[in-house]
Amino acid sequence: MAITKMWTGSDKYICDKELAQAFHMARVIGMPLLIEGEPGTGKTELPLQFAEDLGAKLFVYPVGSKSNVEQFVAKFDHVKYLRDSQVEILNAQREEKGLENRLSTGGRNTENLQDYVLKGPAAEAFSTPNSVLLIDEIDKAPREFPNDLLYALSHRKFVMPESGEMIEVSEENMPAIVITSNREQELPTAFKGRCVYHYISFPTPETMHEIVQKHFPKLNESLEQKCISMFYQMRSLGLDRAPATRELLSWIKYLKSFEEAEALTRVNKVEGLGVLIKNQNDMEKVKARIFGKSS
Amino acid sequence: MFDQLPHTFRKHKLSADVRTLLQFRNAMNKGLVRTLGDAYYVLKGLVTSAPTEIGPFSQAFYEHFLGIDIRKGEPLEDAVTRSNAFRGWKENFSEEELAEIPSMELVDKFLDEVHLTTFDIQRVLDGKDILKKDNPEMKDNDPNGGEGTPTDRPLDRMADYRDVPLEELLRRMREVAKQQKGKHSGGDHWIGTGGVSPYGHGGAAAGGVRVGGTGGGKMARAAVNSRDFYPVDTKALLKDDNIDAALAALKGIEEGTAEIILDIPITIKEGLKQGGIFLPHEKEKVQQKTQVILMIDNGGWSMSPYVTTVQKLFKKMKTRFSHDLKTYYFHNSIYGGLYTDAARWKFEPIEKIIRQDKNYSVFVIGDADMAPYELSNASQESWTELSKHFKRMAWLNPMRESIWHTSMTCSVLMRMFPMFGLTPDGIEQAILEMNRRRKFGK
Repeated sequence: MAITKMWTGSDKYICDKELAQAFHMARVIGMPLLIEGEPGTGKTELPLQFAEDLGAKLFVYPVGSKSNVEQFVAKFDHVKYLRDSQVEILNAQREEKGLENRLSTGGRNTENLQDYVLKGPAAEAFSTPNSVLLIDEIDKAPREFPNDLLYALSHRKFVMPESGEMIEVSEENMPAIVITSNREQELPTAFKGRCVYHYISFPTPETMHEIVQKHFPKLNESLEQKCISMFYQMRSLGLDRAPATRELLSWIKYLKSFEEAEALTRVNKVEGLGVLIKNQNDMEKVKARIFGKSS
Repeated sequence: MFDQLPHTFRKHKLSADVRTLLQFRNAMNKGLVRTLGDAYYVLKGLVTSAPTEIGPFSQAFYEHFLGIDIRKGEPLEDAVTRSNAFRGWKENFSEEELAEIPSMELVDKFLDEVHLTTFDIQRVLDGKDILKKDNPEMKDNDPNGGEGTPTDRPLDRMADYRDVPLEELLRRMREVAKQQKGKHSGGDHWIGTGGVSPYGHGGAAAGGVRVGGTGGGKMARAAVNSRDFYPVDTKALLKDDNIDAALAALKGIEEGTAEIILDIPITIKEGLKQGGIFLPHEKEKVQQKTQVILMIDNGGWSMSPYVTTVQKLFKKMKTRFSHDLKTYYFHNSIYGGLYTDAARWKFEPIEKIIRQDKNYSVFVIGDADMAPYELSNASQESWTELSKHFKRMAWLNPMRESIWHTSMTCSVLMRMFPMFGLTPDGIEQAILEMNRRRKFGK
């Protein structure tokens, strides 16, 4: 039985109400959840934390420009198959010559094609009830990739190569599938139609406060407030690349290594900004507008 | 009441069809939809597929379920205030109560109730559980026992609390269940046309079913009123990230050459299948090319408001296609050729330009707005010559799309070239159009 209880985050992860609902809904009706949002807003963290919190088995498929369905679902290991068939011939020859010892095929049998199927994360997840499957950054994939998944997603079925074995999962046992995207390319409409869509909006300062608290429970309050307010101030400048949650957390991590007073002076002295701002133009803008310096 | 749902969404330029309905029904059967707020979330997940669709989606949702039609550019609060649903809902309050609550708060309250979800109710109930242990006699009130399917548990439990005015909600849910089976129980909207309140008001009017501020009102306002959740057609919102996104769609041109090379992966794969007999497999060497020509109108004051936007795009293109980018400049229109430098000194005639590979993707960037005499016949011919040679050619116009047709010259050029806004969206569409032409235009 799939886990269909509403999950609202763990002690390490804040899952806002809307995201929790979308995720819950996706799991109940057995559709994948497609999450989009600014980089660094915790898209990938959701399934990771979910699996960890509930002790579910997690399968991750990081998508890249060379991704294909074979890697994702399963592929047939031709090399092993060739070796084993050669071994069989050799063994037969040895038997003819009356030699005792045989070469081993490691328990695999060339008659049994399933022995040579290497299952990818998708096949593994579909054959493990209660699991979580993360397809990370699907927008980096070649155009065909999402389209190739259509059948599997709507019929919950994969056909293994060569062996023809079918991996099927019922709607109830469907793994919780989370797909993340940064919108670097538009996904095909047919693909989106088979997913539950959720756009993570940027956290409000209050939520941000909670997030920071979860990551750094012992953080000094005045430092935290200073950081958060400066962070939102930067975001309001209309930068080319506005800093996101991930950047804020790294910044705080850096500042935390100093004594409180020292950390505050470092904030005022514009140190460690490279963590937040990653573009020369933006940096100048920030320096001029927030710190009143021109470079 | 759901038959028309896809239609309403399509009217707001969203994609919805029978599958959407089936999926929604599936969600209902699974007990995911018990309140109007649930319906909002479930449909949002099913229908939207980009942040810019959330605004139109919310509009469509209000129109369909509540009969609230939001006029273009109108804030949600105003649309709600003048709607029948809101007026009907207000009747639940007495005059004194209404006088006490500021009108904006009332709208918020209304929206909070509309967006009240099972999840919110659950949260309140969890809080109330502690109360339950303190007052054992309350357990006796079990008015609606045996209602619905086992998945209805949270709502059954909720009915234990008569002081929490939610029986109304249950009643309404029963109606929904009926409607789901096809029986119309009158009225087009969940909040009935007869002014039936969504959740009733019950005793605690001031507190109502507010359930400690669900934030539904705030969320709804953000979705409808914030420009972020609408298509960006009116704004030139070119940011680092989204230019990349748009340009990513520029597919390389695959060119076959006469050179033959050994296809190693296929050779190995086939050889393995043949039990170790490796026969060489060959393939044509294919070259991936993406070549881009930019033609920029950099003259005159009419283009100056857009300079930063154009520069940004130019910079992006330059880093992306550093080897295969050519840039030409012109002022307003072209007469037999273009200039290769920004100061427009070095002239290059059309004949020379069209000697280049016809597979170049050509973007013309300009407002296409000039005095009619500037777009003379000769000039039009120059444009035609270009468009005949370069199959992949599109015009990117920084002006707002709604005023293109007001310019005479722009209308003429629109007939010659596919024209798109100088926005990420426009660039993406232009590229899609180009890729399409490459496929079918040869």
